[in-house]
Amino acid sequence: MADAGARHWSAYREFWRLNFLTLMEYKVNFFIWLAFTIVYHGVALGAIWIMMSRFPSMNGWHWQQVFFLYALYMLGHTLNNTFFFTIGEVPDLVREGRFDRLLVRPLDPLFQVLSQPGQIWPDELVIALIVFILAQGAVHLQWSSSTVVLLVLATLGGAYIDFAIQLIIATLSFWVVRLDALRWVVMSLENDFTRYPLSIYNRAVRIMLAYVFPFAFMNYFPATVLLHKSAEVGYTFNPQLGWLTPVVGAVWFAAAYSFWRLGLNKYQGTGS
Amino acid sequence: MAAAINMIIQASHLTKQFKSVRRKEGVLGTLATLFSHDYEFKDAVTDVSFDLEPGELVGYIGPNGAGKSTTIKMLTGILVPTSGHCTVNGIVPWQDRQANGRGIGVVFGQRTQLYWDLPLVESFRLLKAIYGVSQASYDRHLKKFSELLGLDEFMRTPVRQLSLGQRMRGDFAAAMMHEPAVVFLDEPTIGLDVVAKEAIRNFIASVNKERGTTFILTTHDLNDVEKLCARIILIDHGRKLYDGSIDAIKKRYGPNRLLTADFLTDAAGVDIRMPGVAVLERDGQRIRLEFERERVRADELIVALSRQADLKDVTIAEPELETIIRQIYERGLDRSGPAPQ
Ligand SMILES: Nc1ncnc2c1ncn2[C@@H]1O[C@H](COP(=O)(O)OP(=O)(O)O)[C@@H](O)[C@H]1O
Ligand SMILES: [Mg+2]
Repeated sequence: MADAGARHWSAYREFWRLNFLTLMEYKVNFFIWLAFTIVYHGVALGAIWIMMSRFPSMNGWHWQQVFFLYALYMLGHTLNNTFFFTIGEVPDLVREGRFDRLLVRPLDPLFQVLSQPGQIWPDELVIALIVFILAQGAVHLQWSSSTVVLLVLATLGGAYIDFAIQLIIATLSFWVVRLDALRWVVMSLENDFTRYPLSIYNRAVRIMLAYVFPFAFMNYFPATVLLHKSAEVGYTFNPQLGWLTPVVGAVWFAAAYSFWRLGLNKYQGTGS
Repeated sequence: MAAAINMIIQASHLTKQFKSVRRKEGVLGTLATLFSHDYEFKDAVTDVSFDLEPGELVGYIGPNGAGKSTTIKMLTGILVPTSGHCTVNGIVPWQDRQANGRGIGVVFGQRTQLYWDLPLVESFRLLKAIYGVSQASYDRHLKKFSELLGLDEFMRTPVRQLSLGQRMRGDFAAAMMHEPAVVFLDEPTIGLDVVAKEAIRNFIASVNKERGTTFILTTHDLNDVEKLCARIILIDHGRKLYDGSIDAIKKRYGPNRLLTADFLTDAAGVDIRMPGVAVLERDGQRIRLEFERERVRADELIVALSRQADLKDVTIAEPELETIIRQIYERGLDRSGPAPQ
């Protein structure tokens, strides 16, 4: 057991070394990615700004608070992207038959997927931190030890929620060859609906974002705690719900991981 | 079964049936596919059993789609069989994939495990970490493999710039870095030129001899098998047809030798009536015969021929494994056997 742990750890370091070497091989690529990341989040923030300049307040949330909402989402999301980005490659690995290789090595297959060279760099996480620093200033966030604890829990839990959903989609590729469309739908659901307070949506969307794809736990519920918002117009919930993000993350991850294990035993590969 | 304990691979009644849903397009199609019960079934491997002793070098052969790769995937733990059982190094491969992974090496001819963008040596370093190979063994293996496979000249070249032959040599070294007791080779020489094929065959033979590594290799190049393997397992349509030595299959299913005789005069008048001999063709001064090795002695046949006309030259050929196996596939195992009258 100890031996397996040591091998996983030294393999992880080696994977990151290769990752770095690959990066050196494709420096231009790195800057293209960086520019893309900045533009991507810039566009999202721009859209929020345009929207908020029309409605000075959205269900009691003014623009600084909506900005903060996005910044909080970015923390969890980019943490997931930094460490677990390559989960999105599982459908390609399966389709191209490269997944087979991961099953004949003495390392956990999910670990291998996540440590593949080709993952991106902490650039996105750094951008998220900068955005967050600006956003917490804009809302005059009151710092205390419980603020710090909640932020850490929300970021970690949020990353796990994000990851769990990606893991479920990745696992589906053991059964279904073409998943691009489904993945795209879930990703846009996540991107679009996490930008604004949950309370502005109708009941069906709220249920979906709280219970089915629990993205609301990545930012909305923790933000209501941090910004001292309780029940909102037309939407009531326990104001302490924001503390549950790590629990939701853990439960969803556990469920997603069991599904993944099941998928591994049903794995059929491709006929080549 | 005391003997069975010594077996390094034991496969009993391995069966794999692929089950797939008829596909539909789009998001809704994807969702529909998940819940659909419109299945297609494909019997890829049916009831295949065999045992391998440590140090054996076995050719697993069959035509395209016979089920070779599927068998290898079950033995390596990639696929869970639909029914049946197997152990490799005493481990059930799909039940404990990590333990299994430490004791086996796998080469897929069509697919590399090397990192495309990086120099070859970087992939080796990664494998060293993955398998927990000590620095001393790593250095020793690398030196040895470089000698046998000539890796030195392209060790620092990015894999994407290697020729197929060089890449395959790299893949072989990669699969052996942790000294696996059993190595699975799925079409290892596919697409290679003669020189690279030869290098790889020599490598396999030498590792097998020196370390006693067990090999099972699938191929449809029977030259690989004839050069390397004493034993073959033949499958078709997912079922085992033959399991035994190459010599035995030649004796049993290729009992005939070929004789070509060239005469100084026209061969039209030559007629041989001996039991176990059949004339295949006559062509001017040449005649081709087939005769049963067990019944007819070659020297007697030649004497009989020389009585009929003046002989210029005679050649005798053994049946080719390829011909025998083609006959087995075409006619089935029972009917391909003896013998023309
Ligand atoms: N993942 C899969 N799904 C469905 N059918 C498959 C799959 N893999 C292989 N097959 C089918 O099983 C049969 C055996 O395939 P395979 O083991 O790859 O044959 P071989 O390696 O001898 O050419 C073929 O008919 C092939 O189409
Ligand atoms: Mg095959």
